[in-house]
Amino acid sequence: MSQLSPTSRKNRRVAFLATGVVIGMIGLSYAAVPFYKAFCKATGFGGTTQRAEKAPDKATDKFISVRFDANTSNDLGWEFHARKTEMQVKIGEQTMAYYDARNTSTRTVTGSAIFNVSPPSAGAYFNKIQCFCFTKHTLQPGQAAEFPVMFFVDPALLDNPDAAGIKEITLSYTFYPAVPDTTAAAQTN
Amino acid sequence: MKSTYTNIGGRLAALAAGFAPVSVFAEAGQPTPWQLGLQDPVTPVMENIVWFHSWLMIVITVITLFVAALLVYVMVRFRAKANPIPSTTTHHTGIEVAWTVIPILILVAIVIPSFRLLYLQRDIPAADMTIKIQGNPSWNWTYDYPDLGLNDDKTSKVVFTAYLKPEKDAVADKVPYLLATDLPMVVPVNKTVKILVTSDPDGIIHSWTVPSFGLKIDAIPGRINEDWFKVTKAGIYYGQCSELCGKDHAFMPIEVWAVDDATMAKWGDFMKTGPKPDALQQFLKTIKPAAQTVASN
Amino acid sequence: MAMAYAANEEHSHDDHSHDPTGWRRYVYSTNHKDIGTMYLWFAIFAGCLGGILSVMMRLELAQPGIQYFSGLAQIVYGASADAAVDQGRHMYNVFVTAHGLIMVFFMIMPAMIGGFGNWFVPLMIGAPDMAFPRMNNISFWLLIPAISLLVISMFVGGPAGMHGAGTGWTIYAPLSSFTGHPGPAVDFAILSLHIAGASSILGAINFITTIFNMRAPGMTLHKMPLFVWSVLVTVFLLLLSMPVLAGAITMLLTDRNFGTSFFVAAKGGDPVLFQHLFWFFGHPEVYILILPGFGIVSQIVSTFSKKPVFGYLGMAYAMVAIGVVGFVVWAHHMYTVGLDVDTQAYFVAATMIIAVPTGVKIFSWIATMWGGSIEFRAPMIWAVGFIFLFTVGGVTGVVLSNAGVDRSLQDTYYVVAHFHYTMSLGATFAIFAGWYYWFPKIFGYMYNETIAKLHFWVTFIGVNLVFFPQHFLGLAGMPRRYIDYPAAFAGWNQVSTIGSLISAGGVVIFLIGVVMAFVKKEKAPNNPWGVGATTLEWTLTSPPPFHQFSTLPVIK
Repeated sequence: MSQLSPTSRKNRRVAFLATGVVIGMIGLSYAAVPFYKAFCKATGFGGTTQRAEKAPDKATDKFISVRFDANTSNDLGWEFHARKTEMQVKIGEQTMAYYDARNTSTRTVTGSAIFNVSPPSAGAYFNKIQCFCFTKHTLQPGQAAEFPVMFFVDPALLDNPDAAGIKEITLSYTFYPAVPDTTAAAQTN
Repeated sequence: MKSTYTNIGGRLAALAAGFAPVSVFAEAGQPTPWQLGLQDPVTPVMENIVWFHSWLMIVITVITLFVAALLVYVMVRFRAKANPIPSTTTHHTGIEVAWTVIPILILVAIVIPSFRLLYLQRDIPAADMTIKIQGNPSWNWTYDYPDLGLNDDKTSKVVFTAYLKPEKDAVADKVPYLLATDLPMVVPVNKTVKILVTSDPDGIIHSWTVPSFGLKIDAIPGRINEDWFKVTKAGIYYGQCSELCGKDHAFMPIEVWAVDDATMAKWGDFMKTGPKPDALQQFLKTIKPAAQTVASN
Repeated sequence: MAMAYAANEEHSHDDHSHDPTGWRRYVYSTNHKDIGTMYLWFAIFAGCLGGILSVMMRLELAQPGIQYFSGLAQIVYGASADAAVDQGRHMYNVFVTAHGLIMVFFMIMPAMIGGFGNWFVPLMIGAPDMAFPRMNNISFWLLIPAISLLVISMFVGGPAGMHGAGTGWTIYAPLSSFTGHPGPAVDFAILSLHIAGASSILGAINFITTIFNMRAPGMTLHKMPLFVWSVLVTVFLLLLSMPVLAGAITMLLTDRNFGTSFFVAAKGGDPVLFQHLFWFFGHPEVYILILPGFGIVSQIVSTFSKKPVFGYLGMAYAMVAIGVVGFVVWAHHMYTVGLDVDTQAYFVAATMIIAVPTGVKIFSWIATMWGGSIEFRAPMIWAVGFIFLFTVGGVTGVVLSNAGVDRSLQDTYYVVAHFHYTMSLGATFAIFAGWYYWFPKIFGYMYNETIAKLHFWVTFIGVNLVFFPQHFLGLAGMPRRYIDYPAAFAGWNQVSTIGSLISAGGVVIFLIGVVMAFVKKEKAPNNPWGVGATTLEWTLTSPPPFHQFSTLPVIK
């Protein structure tokens, strides 16, 4: 095809455009991964909690119940539980809660926790100032550790007619073996 | 209505009876042979679902019959023999606007009660009791009652896993195979129960459902979901896993007993003693809610 | 192949010194009509394969207990009697998966877009061929490795000690991840989808270029037959949605094999994200399956009513609207995953909006018939059957769109009934309508009218018996993808299975009709349908010459 007729040239242009759209959509599907994460972080979608520097200066006098849930992967070999099942906290007040973990296996294990809150609409209002889930933790065989989480519930919750009805927020953690920093690729093969 | 059909005649009778209103026919807690509609509701949410579904049924039946009638009419009236010369009309603004606007109005009449139902389901009231449910990779459910007290190591005193009741046991006990479990999840009647649902962190997605509660919520590894129910009638209610989870997807049933507060307390105390399986089965017989008609054939 | 084209002696293209014959004509084919024909045969083959899988499943479900699959596992996988119980249960899920994927990717899409699309888009717009004839060849031949990989996936390792991918066509992680399926079966299925997807995307590019650039003089967009419109909307949906599936399953593939963690919760991924990506593809995909059917039915209803389509512009833009809105409703498949209530409310409202353009189409078809002079030839009967059955499938879709009620119906047989009323009864009826409508044009022979009508009635009764009772099962709470069920569900399952056997009889009648047409070789006229058939393909011979429109027709 050394010399293209005008129709062929037009056809090629459309085909290139369409191919561009295809490549763009594949790109978008990959971009959706970080975008989804960022979207969840920004809006609390799917019960993603927020991070904050500090609690508001003044707490409200309204209480809300916060429930603590813990799950552990069998691959970790840890016991991991909330110290208290449930707390009544003032909305807007900085609160500290504790989880306890113990390595019951015979090897040194590094773990990290993923989390969400329920109901999902509470995600936007649940702020963590400090959390053990921000970092990885290594426990020697038999070693126990106390894992604190400092949080507050944003008073803005009361201004949102949909969220104001929330009676209880459940904060759930699931501990998994941490992904090794260096050889992330050598996992499943 | 008794729902034991052992012969063809019985089945035909059931089929005929099936066209009676659902509430006469279906029984709470489990499906019945030749059932046509939703299971009988035992929670406010399910009552609303049944009501709303009935409304939808009216709307869609009228629409379907209307379309069918139009089709029959045009097929008869405008068949080639009856109407040899076709018209050439291809536009009629009035009617085109009408069949755009009228469906929108119908949808508005649907969406308003729909939202009311949705917000009723998802605005979770203050709970009287919270139970954690975990779907397991070995195709069974673990029920965890933190509200009934914690051990020193902060695990709940009442935690147990409910397995499918094998076919021969189900037949012997006259309970429905593939619905019955060896241990029931016991909940207080007329109390708001909140469930926290997740899957084993190393497992796959399941979905916990009890049709007569109008409740279905996915159990997803590494994620907590919540839902609620308030059973208004003591009884036994069954459900089945509702998200494809592998070879035994059809074999991880759910059995819930709704009992009065005193029985609930008795059950909780007994469970805390860590009973042996045989003793537990004996005990369960003493607190089992009033026997229901069971389909068997 | 049991057919021959009328010899065509005129050669308008310099690069064709003579028309190819024998196997070269098909394997090397760059002719849109030959490729379309191959697509149709391929779809018939795949449809029979997927159909056999479904009949096996229905036989298994005829009564409670496990009837066949343990034995089948022993025969097919050589499992021991003990292992066969588990293998059989998994094998059922493999059948569910393969049935879904085959019917979607290798039956409906090849028949509608590859078959009828290839044949009649160029003819209807007055083009000599597709814009990229050689790419067209590749699109078709990619399907062969694609379906081969899918069939292979049924026999290689899935979960430990079992064979095949039992994930459902939705391939949700982590069931489809290393967690649920450590064996290579899912990898084979993913590669199969990659290749089928590539085939569709190449086809989509080809159609878009053809429709935009190769229309005959005077054939403006607003004069194009509705079938061409429907294909245009469909291929745009393909172009935008198929790459997202490709992306999602590639992520799944690398999660499984190369240690990435897109959907692995343990490593900070999110399995729910897979569902979002899947349904961002999956919902447009179901419109991809049905939109060409809308186009086919529009042509047929107009032809046999001897009237132009009522509200042409409304019909065309209703399809565009369905296509556009189809991209923003995906999470209505995910009401139970734990979406917050406002998100659910949005998807309820957005989903319901689709009912409006769909209603416009239904009523416009009826209005096209209104005042017409209707001849009830086989294609018309199939088309009218489509309109009614699609209405039934549509209204149950409105029920399911309500998140509140979907809580009860999600993942039950109600959903199975709903999407089979739109697909198995809707799309497939449209395919058969198109088959009988264009059979004389494609092959140059008349089909047997009596057999075609018998085929319709047997199928109509059969499929309704299969799927109508499934509404009852779903309402009563029977979950889908179950190999065994409580005794209470037995009655309607039995009815459903009987229906499935009747439908299988319908397929046999169909095949007999095809064979008979080729045996009898009753010559078809150029236009067997009379004054109502106004699109360009009826101006050509039956079958059309190997190269048509060497001088482009001019549309006034």
